[in-house]
Parts: sequence; C-alpha cells; structure tokens
Amino acid sequence: MLTDSDRVKKARKIALELIMSDHEGDCAGPCSLNCPAHTDVQGYLKQIADGNYRAAVEIIKEKIPLPASIGRICPHPCESNCRRRFVEEPLSIVYLKAFAADKDLSSENPFKPEVLPETGKKVAVIGGGPAGIAAAYRLRLSGHSVTVFDSMPEMGGMLRYGIPEYRLPKAILEKEISAAKSLEIVFKNSVRIGKDIPFDEIRKKHDAVLLAIGAWKSRKIGCPGEELAGVFGGIDFLREVNSGNIPEIGKKVAVIGGGNTAMDASRAAIRCGAEEVCVIYRRTREEAPAEDIEIAEAIEEGVSFRFLRDPAEIIGENGKVKAIKLRVMEQGKSDSSGRKTSVPVEGKFEIIEADSVISAIGQQSNLFGFEGFELTKSGNVITDTLNGTTNLEGVFAAGDVSNKGASIAIDAIAEGNAAAKAIDAYLLGMPLDFAKPVYSKRKVSEKDFSGKEKIPRAKMTFKPAEERKTNFDEVINGFSEEEARAEAKRCLECGCHDYKDCRLIRYANENRINTGKFSGVKHNSFTERKLLSIERDMGKCMLCGLCVRICEEKIGKGLLGFSGRGFRTAIKPEFLKSEDISGCAGCLECAKICPTGALKIIK
Amino acid sequence: MRIAIGEGSCGIAAGAKKLEEALIKSAEGKNIGIGITGCVGMCFLEPIVDIYEDKKLLKRLVKVKESDAERIVSAAEKGDFSSVSDLEIKEEDSEFLELQKRIALKNCGKINPESIEDYIAEGGYESLKKVLGIPPEKVIDEIKLSGLAGRGGAGFPTWLKWDLARKNKSENGRKYLICNADEGDPGAFMDRAIIESDPHSLIEGMLIAAYAIGAYEAFVYVRAEYPLAVKHLEKAIEQAKKSGFIGENIFGADFSCDIKIKTGAGAFVCGEETALIASLEGERGMPKLKPPFPAESGYKGAPSNINNVETFANVPRIIKMGGKAFSEIGTENSKGTKVFALTGKVKRSGLVEVPMGTTLREVIYKIGGGIKGEKKFKAVQLGGPSGGCIPENLLDTPIDYKELSKTGAIMGSGGMVVMDESACMVGMAKFFLDFTAEESCGKCVHCRIGTKRMQEILTAITEGKGKPEDIETLEELCDAVKEGALCGLGQTAPNPVLTTLRYFRNEYEEHVFEHRCAAKECSAMLSYVISAEKCRGCTLCAKKCPVSAISGEVKKTHIIDKNLCIRCGACSKVCPFGAVSIE
Repeated sequence: MLTDSDRVKKARKIALELIMSDHEGDCAGPCSLNCPAHTDVQGYLKQIADGNYRAAVEIIKEKIPLPASIGRICPHPCESNCRRRFVEEPLSIVYLKAFAADKDLSSENPFKPEVLPETGKKVAVIGGGPAGIAAAYRLRLSGHSVTVFDSMPEMGGMLRYGIPEYRLPKAILEKEISAAKSLEIVFKNSVRIGKDIPFDEIRKKHDAVLLAIGAWKSRKIGCPGEELAGVFGGIDFLREVNSGNIPEIGKKVAVIGGGNTAMDASRAAIRCGAEEVCVIYRRTREEAPAEDIEIAEAIEEGVSFRFLRDPAEIIGENGKVKAIKLRVMEQGKSDSSGRKTSVPVEGKFEIIEADSVISAIGQQSNLFGFEGFELTKSGNVITDTLNGTTNLEGVFAAGDVSNKGASIAIDAIAEGNAAAKAIDAYLLGMPLDFAKPVYSKRKVSEKDFSGKEKIPRAKMTFKPAEERKTNFDEVINGFSEEEARAEAKRCLECGCHDYKDCRLIRYANENRINTGKFSGVKHNSFTERKLLSIERDMGKCMLCGLCVRICEEKIGKGLLGFSGRGFRTAIKPEFLKSEDISGCAGCLECAKICPTGALKIIK
Repeated sequence: MRIAIGEGSCGIAAGAKKLEEALIKSAEGKNIGIGITGCVGMCFLEPIVDIYEDKKLLKRLVKVKESDAERIVSAAEKGDFSSVSDLEIKEEDSEFLELQKRIALKNCGKINPESIEDYIAEGGYESLKKVLGIPPEKVIDEIKLSGLAGRGGAGFPTWLKWDLARKNKSENGRKYLICNADEGDPGAFMDRAIIESDPHSLIEGMLIAAYAIGAYEAFVYVRAEYPLAVKHLEKAIEQAKKSGFIGENIFGADFSCDIKIKTGAGAFVCGEETALIASLEGERGMPKLKPPFPAESGYKGAPSNINNVETFANVPRIIKMGGKAFSEIGTENSKGTKVFALTGKVKRSGLVEVPMGTTLREVIYKIGGGIKGEKKFKAVQLGGPSGGCIPENLLDTPIDYKELSKTGAIMGSGGMVVMDESACMVGMAKFFLDFTAEESCGKCVHCRIGTKRMQEILTAITEGKGKPEDIETLEELCDAVKEGALCGLGQTAPNPVLTTLRYFRNEYEEHVFEHRCAAKECSAMLSYVISAEKCRGCTLCAKKCPVSAISGEVKKTHIIDKNLCIRCGACSKVCPFGAVSIE
C-alpha cells in the first residue's frame, strides 16, 4: 500500500485545504501572529497571571533572548492587534514582558536554558545587536560553538548605542547580555570585520557565518549646507550620547524626521541641555512613523514640532550651522499604501535659527569590507525571507542589513531566530526549503465580544516631565506585582488551547497547503457544554469521528454520533436527548483523542 | 370481457382510483370484470384502461376520465367500441411499446400485481422450481452464460458477485441476500414500477439468487417513500409464503428461505451497498471502505450479496429462456435489455426497456417521439446525479456500459432526462450537484466540503458573480472529489459538472465572462424591460410587482427599476400586451 505516491500526496493536500477552508478557529492569538517573532504571548501572560515569572520568561526566551530590554522599547504590534481592544483597551503586553523579565533577572535563580550537546560546528556572527544576539543564543542552544564579533566596545548594537538610557537602562541590557554570555557564547568586541579581520578569513574559519551588522550610517538629507559643522546624523548623535560623549549641539536644535529615532534624538538633545528643540517633518503627525506615545512624551518634555516642512538648505556662518531654510509643504494625494504624500507649496519658505541640525531621516548599512553580496536598490543584502540565505555559500544575513533595511528590534530578533534555524539545518545537512507557516485565523469584530466584562487596562506611570528631562534615568515606574497579575488576567485567550498538539495544523504545514485556495461558508465557531467536563467548539471540528469511535468502541457508551447530511453533518450527542448525554461519565477520552482543539477539557 | 385499470403510482396520481370506482359502479350487475393492473409505462397517457377478451387485449383506452366510465362499460358490454374511439390509443403512441423489448418489464401493466395466480399463469415460479432441481453452481453458470450485469448502475457481472458470495464461508454458516430497492436518483422510477406492477418476479429472482449463493435469509431494502410498492410487496410475500415459495423446503427441495422488507428513510447514500448494509443493521447509513466487499463481510459480517430490483427481475426470465438466448440480445459487452425512465422534454415519457445496443437517438426519437414543441434537442442526462450529459453529436452512441462511459456519462440505474435548447447546462449541473452535496453522508472531506465548494462556485456562476479562475478551480475540485471520495456517491458526484464542462464549456464561459445565460434560466442575470411601444400604461404590472420596482402613470409607459427588480417575472406574466421582455 502506497501512502506517499504523488496521487496520494495530491489528494491529501487538497483534503487538508478543504478542511482548513471549513476550520473556524485561531491557532494563535493575533498578539502572537502579529509579533514578528511569533512569541507565545498568551502562554506567558497565563504564567504571569499565575505568578510564575520564571516560567513566563522561559516561554518568552523561546523567541526573545532579551525580554527585559525588548519589554521596554518594543513598539508592540502585539498590543495594537490585541482583541481586548474590542472590549475596552488592549493588554499592556510589552510592559508585562519587562515586568516578568525584571522579576526573573532579580531572582535568586534566573532562568537559564539548556544547551544541547556540542556539535563541533563553528559559527561566526558578525554584529552583536538584537539580530546577532538572538541568532547566537539560538545557535548556541543547539550545541554549536558561536563567536560574536562586534566593532563597538560593548555588545547590544542599536539597543545600546541607538536607544537612549532613559528608555532602556544599559545596566538591564548588560544583565541580559551576560546571561547569554554565560551559555559560553564567545563575544569579541572592538573588532571590525573587513578591516581588522578579512571577511574571507572569517568564512574560511567557520562552518557558517551570519551577517548582522545593522544599519549604522545616517542617510544624507541631500540639501546644501549638509557639510557644515553642527550637522549630525541621528544615529551618530545617539551613539555619541550613549557612549558618554555629549556633542556640541548648542541651545537651538533642529531635528529632521518623524520616526522613533527623531524622537529619541530630540529627547536626548533636551537632556543634553538644549533649550529649544524643534522636530521638522515633511508630512503631518498622522503620517509620522514614530509611536504616538513617543511624540506625546517629547511634547511633554518641551520638544516642538513643525509638520509639513522640508529642509531646503542649511545656512552656515563661518563653517558652522546658523539657521535652516525650510520648504513649506502641503498634503498631496494618497500613495498606493493609502498614506498621504506631501508636495511643496511653490515659492513658500521659512527660516528658523539653529545651532545644530540632527538628521534622523533613515539609516543605511556600511558594507565596506563585505564584498560579493547581491544588494537591493537601497544597498541592503538580498536575503531569502524564509531561511536568511544570501548569494554567498554558507553566509546568512539578518536584521537591518538585510532586505528592507532598518526596522524595529523585534523584527531583527525574528530574523535572527529564522537565520539560526536555517543555519542549524545547514550545519546538519538538512534541506533549507522552509515554508511560511500556515495558521487558522478567525475574523472577529466588536460584536463578538459584546458580553465581555469591561476591565480597564493597567496604566503605566511615568516620572514627571520636569523631573525626567534633566537626566537620562529611566522614565517608567514599572508595574507592581498586583497590577501585573491583574493585567495579565485580562487576556482573552484567543489562541487555541491545542495548537501545539494539533495534528491538523501540523499536517497542513507539512503538506504546505495553500490556505486561500478554497473559500466559502464555514461552520460557525461556537462552544457548548453538553458532555461532562468537555466543551465542544464545532468551528474546529473536522468530523474525523475519532470521538464517536472511542466512545463507542473503547468506552462502550456510544454517546456521540454523526447527525445531518452533507455540509450540515455534525457530531452531536446522539439524538440530542439529555438522558443520553447524562450517560457521560467524564472519562475525557474523546477530548484526549480529538486531533484538533474541538473538544476541550474543562477543569 | 374484462376491464383492467393501470394502477401504478402514476396512474393513481392521474385519477385511476376514482376511475376504478366509477367503472365498478357502471359495471354493477353486468357480466364485466373490473380489475387492476400495474404500470404499463406510458406515463404520458395515464389513466389507461385495457379491455380484454379472455387473455387478448382488445382495446387500450388512454387519458380516460371518471366521466368516461359509463360509456366504456356499455361499449364493452356491446362489444362495439366505436363510441369510445376518441379514447383509443393513437397508432403513433402505440409505437412507444412496439419498439421496446420487454424482459424485466414483461408482466408490467399486464397482470394484476396483487394476484399470485396472475403471475403463475404467466409462467411464474417455474424458473424457481427448475433451479431447485439443479446444483447452485449450475445456476451461477447459467447466469454467467447470460452475461447479466448489475442494473443498479455499476454494471458488475452478476454471476461473479454470486460466485464470491457462494464461495466465501461464514463462521455460523449464515449468508444473506439483499435486494437494493433504494431507488434514489431524481427522475428514476424503474424499480418502483417493477415492484408495484410485478412484485413476484422480484421475489422469484431473489429466491433463485438465495439458492445460488446459499442464503436462508433475504431482505428487500426499499424506500419508505414507495408506499404502494411496499404494500404490493408485502402482499406478494404473504402470498408466496402461503403457496410455499417462501419458507421451509421450497418445492420439497433442501432449500429454505425467508424474505423480509426493510424500509429506508430516504437517504440517497443508502443506495450504496455498504451504507445500505449499515442502515439494515440499524446504524447510520454511511459507506465503508471496500475491501472487504459485502461478498466477504456484509450484513452482520457474513458473506452477503446485493443486487438491485431490475437485476433480480431479469433472473427468472434468464432461467426460463436460458442464459444463451439472453446473451444473444444486446452487444458484445452488454447483454440483455435495460430499462430506462425516459423523462424531460420528450413527447412520450415513461418506462422504456430496450435491447442493449439500441442508440440513444432511437430511444429519444423513435420511442420518445422526439422533442416536445418546436424546440431543438440539447442534451440527455443519463444516470441521474451520478451520471453525465450527452450532447447531440453523440446521440448515436449505443446503450452499452463501455460506450456510454466513454462519453463521460454512465449507464446508471436508468434515469434518462432529455433537455431541449431552453435548458441552461450550468444550472443543470448545479441542480444535480445540489442534490449530491445535500445527500453526502459527511464522512469524506472531499465529498462533504469539496461538493460544497463546487456548489458555491456554481451558485456564484449562475448568479453572474463567477470569477475567471472559477472554471479551473471547479475542474480541480471535480478531479479531487472523484479521486478522493470513498464511495460511489462522492466519486461520481462531479460527473454532471465534468460532462457539462466537457460538452458545454462555452455556456460556463458565457456565464463567467459575459454574465449572460443564453437559455435565460439564471434569473439573477436577466433583466426585465418594458417596451415603450407596446406598453399602454394599464398599471397592472406596477400593481402586481411584489417589490414596487415598477413606476409609471396611467396611460403612460411604465419603467422597471433594475436595482429593485427581483426578477420574479410577475410583470411579464400579467402584462396583457406582451410589453415586458427579458434581456
């Protein structure tokens, strides 16, 4: 009997595509699915709610090796997609992560993962930022010997040199990096590959190489006067500040850009003693990519904003910045993504005085010394999005240096994780033809949650603006244990309880199904409790009939049966008579054998 | 003189019962016997009255009304039928029967189905007596020689099934014989007619088969929706028991057999043999994987043989005429005759039994008399929801298992639905798919969800919402369901779609790309328009419109709001000037 002929495989794949077209459930919550690293948010929130912070960290660290740091700075796509927003407000996921990680770090016995036996394979990770550290951590856990090279004196990359101390205290980052180091990852700082050691030599001496050098060059403004003294790149300015060298910025500072780097630079400038800091952005606040809270906090700290202005010229005097000439803009048509463009108002300019100009309009990678890569138009290394491979044999890339360029830290971590998985397979001689994971997702709306009790979101408190703007101390106060546990309890547990053991989703992924291929009416997801200790979700039931068989053949009760015909066929307690159902002794065998999450044991 | 009224379900539906009462009343005190017979198969002429002198059919009167009773009786009394000549069957309509060769239907419409004596008078139970004198193996040999194949649709050699069931041993010595009378195809009524009109031929055929395989117990699994068939069969079994044909030591031979009736609740899938057995056992009618075949492990796990009604009805006739004589009828691959339920847009509809090898054209044009009205032939659907449609250019295909399956259709159990040019083939495919999708037992993914998705696509196409990729997806689903389903229902469910895609792809494309249904059947794509020239402003249409989509003042041209119109056609029907047209 053949079970893997092409005919069987084709039939199996279509069967799975059909089942999934009628499978109404959420493999994982939107928090997890929208987290680039797919962190099991629901899993660790449950542990936090139960007060098991070490267990929470263990779950987080399956994806994020630096949770205390990420928990302070992540722009949290998880929260933006949290379904609790349909009830009142999303959960405060990111701070809960920091809370659990802080608890663990300060505990007597912080979580330390197990390292698999040595494989004897050597991997070089170039760049000790979030992508590099994430990859190094994963690869080390798989038993490979890992060396991380970094050109800066300390590890952490942009987390250390790009993010100001008041948002991420370096002591916390240091603790987390040390924890990684304790797994016997070799960290080599102040080594610039391509200069101090040739890239080719690194490739020769290692079985695989991960390029994770980030994007450390500030993009040029491209207007006259850019060469004047007092013009800084945003990243360069922050790096200097974070290294403890406060540059000469004077009293009046113009910051160009609307992203988080511009916010960090402007708020750092205030803390460096500037009296007037003005952020100049070519579009409006709505289009600004910076987090709303970052903009709000900057305003609180005295930063002013000039929207719809674009630098036309930096005016100098004696080779030094004196003022900046701005082109007045107005809103134009929406672009393909629906974002409004801005166009110059002809002949309309204004001039503002400035002692220095910080340009935070984008970053680029410096690939000097790393020759031979195929690059994107914007100069990033072309990388396979699923397995991190580049055009160079045995060289993988992750983080800001790859494909789309500079992005948020959690993105870099996700790419580092993916590259590590691929490198591990590569070192073991396994195929690298990874596929994008398949999930079952429900479409929900506000009315699905109309019956939920409203519980307000835990509010994070901040130090007063007047107090915080004078120094680089951390601005958040953190949650109390009581606040954190109550907040974690607000989780709606959207993800399926059976996801990790679900055979349907496993086979769907193994067979690489196309989930969108067949679509149509689905069985609604609804739950009911008619059997003792078991909740049934008919949206997830795929009518395999295992529950029917086990109840009949093994237990001898035969309480369940098929009912109806065609698409309306359902598994129900037979004849739907209450006296039949009362025969259930709660043996739970049906729920145990259910291959999906359609039957759930209620404790 | 004897008058027989055709009282099959069709005759009764046309008023035969009341006619019978009237005839009895009129014949009171006269030397004229009034009796009933079964269905002769000419549905289009019901109610039918036959007048016999001894055993000779003198006159056949058709479309007889209750009010005709008196004059019929008086004509019969006088022996002069000139006064009822208007009721006499027309010569051309007599061709309907003359062109047929009746073996399975031999007694239908001829004998009184409630009378065992009538059956015996026609040579009934002689074949049973004959086989009981020879070894079972020889009976199987005779059936093998005849070339009889299963008439339920699949066409599996009957002797082979019997032989397997005979040779397979059962632990407790029990074997079962089952008759599949769960005739579920829409438009098919061959088996019903046989049971209603000639139940003893089924019983005799079953007893012969039971003897051949060594079964002592037999079941007839019949639809509960066939009350008259059940009634006649019950009566026939009762009579056969009294006459010693059913029971212990039949004809003094070492053979005993009992026949029981089990009525099914109407699930189409119960016509599939493994599902039928499950239903017989009291389980949900749900097919099982084969092998094991029922011949190895069937009812209660014992070797069982299942044949359909028509197959059994042929058996006594084969024994009587001899396997060789039977095998001389038909083609090389398909022996004997086949009964069809000819329906649809033909002039003469009804039960048709023709020798294998007869072409579809002969059946439709000669026996059926061609297409009704002035319309043109478009397609014929064979085999109901499991079958397929055959277009005009293939009408010379002979009725033969192999030749028919080459067209993509199947012989099937005998449904033959003729469609004229006004039929939308996409709508037709949807009709049959709606049926199978609803009747899927739900066990297999391909069938349960696959047919549902196909149904959704076909619905979209017929509503003018088809997408360009739909046809391809439909084809892929057809293949997948055919390949992936466990039982015959699922495996054949895509056939109507596949054959219409094969022969009428242009219609699908028209629906999808031009949002047009040339047959004007898909109402969602039609638009009703009032002609300014013809409209007189009588306001009737506006009053009739259920959604107030028509506006206009008295004596002025009315207008239909296309956005409000639900295309019910009420305006078109009510307009006295024919001003409403469909575009």
